[in-house]
Amino acid sequence: MTALLRAELIKLRTTRTFLALTGVAVGTSLLICTLVSLLSEPTEESVLTDVFTADTSGLFIVILAIVGITGEWRHRTITSSLLAAPNRLRFLVAKTLAFAAAGLLLSLLISIAIAVVGMIILSSRDLPTPELDELVGQIIRNAEVAALLGAFGLALGTLVRNQPVAIVGVLLLSLAIEPTVIALAPEVGRFAPFSALTAAIQQIPASDIGGSDDFRLLSPGLALLALLAWIGAAFTAGAVLLKRRDLN
Amino acid sequence: MSAVTDVAIEFNRLSKSFGKVQAVHDLSFSVQFGRVTGFLGPNGAGKSTTLRTLLGLIHPNAGTATFGGVRYEQLPHPSGHVGAVLEEASFHPGRSGRNHLRILAAAGSHPGSRVNAVLEQVDLAGAADRRVKGYSMGMRQRLAIAAALLGDPDVLILDEPSNGLDPPGIRWMRDLLRSEAARGRAVLVSSHLLSEVSQSVDDVVVISHGVLRGSGTLASVLGGADGPVTRVRAGELDRLAELLRDQDHSVEPDGSGGLLVRGAAPEVVGQVAADHQVALAELVAVARSLEDVFFELTEGEA
Repeated sequence: MTALLRAELIKLRTTRTFLALTGVAVGTSLLICTLVSLLSEPTEESVLTDVFTADTSGLFIVILAIVGITGEWRHRTITSSLLAAPNRLRFLVAKTLAFAAAGLLLSLLISIAIAVVGMIILSSRDLPTPELDELVGQIIRNAEVAALLGAFGLALGTLVRNQPVAIVGVLLLSLAIEPTVIALAPEVGRFAPFSALTAAIQQIPASDIGGSDDFRLLSPGLALLALLAWIGAAFTAGAVLLKRRDLN
Repeated sequence: MSAVTDVAIEFNRLSKSFGKVQAVHDLSFSVQFGRVTGFLGPNGAGKSTTLRTLLGLIHPNAGTATFGGVRYEQLPHPSGHVGAVLEEASFHPGRSGRNHLRILAAAGSHPGSRVNAVLEQVDLAGAADRRVKGYSMGMRQRLAIAAALLGDPDVLILDEPSNGLDPPGIRWMRDLLRSEAARGRAVLVSSHLLSEVSQSVDDVVVISHGVLRGSGTLASVLGGADGPVTRVRAGELDRLAELLRDQDHSVEPDGSGGLLVRGAAPEVVGQVAADHQVALAELVAVARSLEDVFFELTEGEA
């Protein structure tokens, strides 16, 4: 498994897509953090989630993971991958772990960068700043979500082989369908994987994801279990499909 | 070399269908260590399906395809035992040739030093750090072959390996096949370039519509069902014919004053003549080209 994981990490590092999307994720996160730090007046209670959850690694790692697995089909590298690792389940596990690790590292990189930038700007404006332990806690929660979304994106990409369809589908789901469900059926919306569950794990207020006054997020622990269930279901379905599929 | 028996690959009553299309039907043949086996058939004959089934990429409906009795996915170190180049060699266009090999070396637990070794072997070291999208088709084919050689495997499976290669590249490929077989490795190569195959292979397997049409050594297949055919002329033609018939060879007039001897190579006919002091005027093998045999066996399919 270590060998396969190493191979998957080399795959990640050796394409421009990964470097480009990582750069965009870092740039976007820093831009949001800078604008919020400069233009808003966060209170002592809200500063942590207002400024230091600007980490956009979750969205980008989902896209990277989808590109990573669907690209195997698109470029037909799935053949050489499975010749090197004919146990398809082990191949999928290694790829999932690789994107979870990539999400974790990307989020840590971004969270630390926005922590530095946010603290400098807030301090220069004499606005409240979070305690170090609070900041570290938020960085860890951000990284936790990014790791889970990396695994989730990989599982979804295994289910939907068509790269554009998978990416557009996830964007539609996270940016349009989930907010609609949260607004219209909040009891169902609490289990929305990209918005409600990640917000609950990151301990972001429900109002930040468009929830109404009576919308309540799950507790962080329950949200984590629910997101793991989503990942498990998608991974299982993807693994069954991959195992049965003939590679013509 | 880990060969325990002479049989490197064995197909046993292999069948595979896609919906109503029967791609491979009840296919059985084997490939020996130390020999190059040509796997021939028209487009759509089922060659690629057969090879992909052997490599665990396609699930058969019936029968088995194994390496010494073991399925590819059950081999303890698959890419160290088998190297494969499939027809549509596939690479990420944005990745360099070296990185492509580094990934496969890592996944197969092969030492990193093998990457440089195989790049040298396929004469691609100079272009190794360029992205694959800038490679010519021949360079991509060489990269695919480098990937197959990474694990220094006992068995090589090559699906149309000469595609995209220029004449020097084709010669290089032919030499590679021969040298790998000379080292005791089993080589199974599918190709539609019959002239190429006839210069490279020891054994031939011909399929059409997924069904085995013929197999055997190249000489026996070229000789047809009766084996090799020899044309001979001699002063004492009737006596020579009698002598050959006494040795159970089929002899008939060739229509131009000579004899056609079926089932005997020129060396055999020459030996009979020499043993009985019959002076020969002509002794030649009647060659059928592989193309003739191919069309005969596949009933003219192109």
